[in-house]
Amino acid sequence: MQILAVDDDPIILELLEQFVLAIGGHEVTTAESGMAALELLDGDESGSFDCFLLDIQMPGMDGIELTRKIRDIARFADTPILMLTAMTDKRYIDAAFAAGATDYVTKPFEVSELKARITLVEGLVEARQSRTQKILATQSAPSEGNTIELYEPISIYDVDNVIEYMAMENYVSQLSRNALFGSTAFAFTIRGIETFYAEMTAFEFFSLVSDVAEVISDTLEGRQFLMSYAGNGTYVCITESGWRPESRKVMDAVNLSLATTELFDNKGNRVEPRVSAGDAVRLIWKAGSSVMEAVSTAHASAEAAAAEHEYNKRDFWHLGQTA
Amino acid sequence: MKDILPGLDRVRDRFLTMLEDRKTNIASHAIAAWEADCVEDICAHLAAAQSILHQIAGSAGSLGFAALGDSARHCENEIISHLQSECAALPECPEQLILNMDMFLSSCNDILRTPA
Repeated sequence: MQILAVDDDPIILELLEQFVLAIGGHEVTTAESGMAALELLDGDESGSFDCFLLDIQMPGMDGIELTRKIRDIARFADTPILMLTAMTDKRYIDAAFAAGATDYVTKPFEVSELKARITLVEGLVEARQSRTQKILATQSAPSEGNTIELYEPISIYDVDNVIEYMAMENYVSQLSRNALFGSTAFAFTIRGIETFYAEMTAFEFFSLVSDVAEVISDTLEGRQFLMSYAGNGTYVCITESGWRPESRKVMDAVNLSLATTELFDNKGNRVEPRVSAGDAVRLIWKAGSSVMEAVSTAHASAEAAAAEHEYNKRDFWHLGQTA
Repeated sequence: MKDILPGLDRVRDRFLTMLEDRKTNIASHAIAAWEADCVEDICAHLAAAQSILHQIAGSAGSLGFAALGDSARHCENEIISHLQSECAALPECPEQLILNMDMFLSSCNDILRTPA
């Protein structure tokens, strides 16, 4: 991989060069400021960088702002960005993920830790290349049918507070690591997602998932949260401490917003998705893998709520009956 | 570690060379913050010292100076806490911050005096 490392400390840049050399198989280019990095990217029209390593705290443009600017460049919209930071303050970490970071590594770092993260990133780069090809292929030939899997997480761009699913997993794992558990997990599932999936081209399905994400994000505006599309019509949200969403109210607000938003498929037919929300699961006092389990519980709860809604709609005459 | 990273010695030498300058700069900012009599100057010098401490804290541990890195991190966090507190609006620099930096600078001197 071609890696661009940005840090105002020349020692860190030299260390990274040595570490990447030791890992082998990658090349690293360095820049000592956000502006210098953007100049490099400006002259890199072919988009040769596969991964970014960015310091958060830098004079002038900090790593969070640089992340936003990199994400604004279309060819780097889904390029993995690892934040290098000594700042374990949750506000900085949340801001980095919200800006588009994929993961973060805490300074001082060890070669083994950096190697593990870069190996993960390498896998991500390969997976993304394959996924991007699928979406682009379907855009040009929509009649060829779906090439996105229903259960596959999809990267959604340019929607506030929406991050990739892998970044969400990393974020949750960092919460465990730093014992910052004042958050809540909850999820939304698009009702009847299988039907949408069966009837739409991959590009239409991708657009539907993106549009619903935007509506949810707009509805939750003003709240501190991060959200990710986990596949199968489900969006997983992690909220900041202090806000425990009331699922029913939030779901009604999202559905009201969806009802007033005009969405269409490629043939001009109106598309009217609605969501079900699952239970909000508090992450306080959870540790280690149980944090991810709590997120899975929230995820499963939303899918169950959507399935129940579909069942009740179809078999409403069974409601309230006893044997 | 040296077997894995043959160039680490060179980076370590550069870190020590820079530590000499960084130590001097931290001391200058600490004294200036202590002697300043307006809030803006005190905060500006403390923030400048904090920025240098932040860099040392970020790399020292990876180069075999974990204790120095921890000490820098402690000083940095104390300065950040002060700058974010209501006390930062007062025209005086807390003595404890200066003492923390003094201890850190002593640790720097110990390392710089130790033969390679």
